[in-house]
Amino acid sequence: MAQMPALIPKEVEIQRLKKIWLMIIALGSIAASVEVDNFVDGSLHQTSIRDSAFTPAHWWLYSHFVALPLGWGACAIYDRKVPILRGPNNSINTGLKMTILGYLATMFTIGINEMWHFWFVEEIFAVPNHWMFNMGVVVAFMGALAYVVRIYARLVELGAETPGENPYIAEMYKMALEGKLYSRAIP
Amino acid sequence: MTLPKGFGSGGSSGGTSADVERMIGRRVENMTGMITLAYLAAWLATFGGTAAGYFYYPWAYPTHSGHFAFIVLTIIETIGYIFCVKVMEEGTRKNTNVRTGVVIAGVAVGTLYISMYVGW
Repeated sequence: MAQMPALIPKEVEIQRLKKIWLMIIALGSIAASVEVDNFVDGSLHQTSIRDSAFTPAHWWLYSHFVALPLGWGACAIYDRKVPILRGPNNSINTGLKMTILGYLATMFTIGINEMWHFWFVEEIFAVPNHWMFNMGVVVAFMGALAYVVRIYARLVELGAETPGENPYIAEMYKMALEGKLYSRAIP
Repeated sequence: MTLPKGFGSGGSSGGTSADVERMIGRRVENMTGMITLAYLAAWLATFGGTAAGYFYYPWAYPTHSGHFAFIVLTIIETIGYIFCVKVMEEGTRKNTNVRTGVVIAGVAVGTLYISMYVGW
């Protein structure tokens, strides 16, 4: 794997990447918690009619959908200190961008969803106002994967993490470092 | 290597190790105390959140469900905690395995106690 040019001292970069790693673990735990609440909320809606937006399952779900875009936004602010993580034309990292946009979509869908349920009380999983919750999370997960792999690949390159033995995984790290994990055309 | 503005002695001579340390600030391997406190705070908040369910909305959130969610979330938080501490300390001489083990054991006992005796 070709060594990427370093713009900051190696030790500084490792420390900064690990600080981002800490944030990602915390945000990943929050995302896992949302998945748990998916079942809690779903089970409540199967047993009782939606009488209020302010049920504990909704507090749990909605607070996390606010915390996630804010947390990833904080990540994006700190991310500027690591040159290797910049996106095309020195913009925000593409994976990080997708993650923030995905979670922002879920955050705004809270409002859309409440508006829908003002008229239609039934909680059917497949109604259109629920689509963007699920699509937002999927987009966010895809972006987060690209971002996480890129950070891990850089930590491997800097010698702070153990490289993968599987050649396919190694190739994935290489693509991630070049910003081409999902597309060879769009970095 | 050229250091950012405000670091180094000026010119293109690069920086000293003191400059590098100043750029790093607080090192991640010295953050494990804060990580431990954050983990315990998250665990207590999880207890508070699930308890709000079965104390104030017992018709919708039976205690069994609350404790089930509490246990699952505690496991998620514990995996994150272990991962954080191990990644931050790898490659350094810092080692807080005993403290991490004691904290996790304490949380495990607390989780069992709460699941068996609270909210029934």
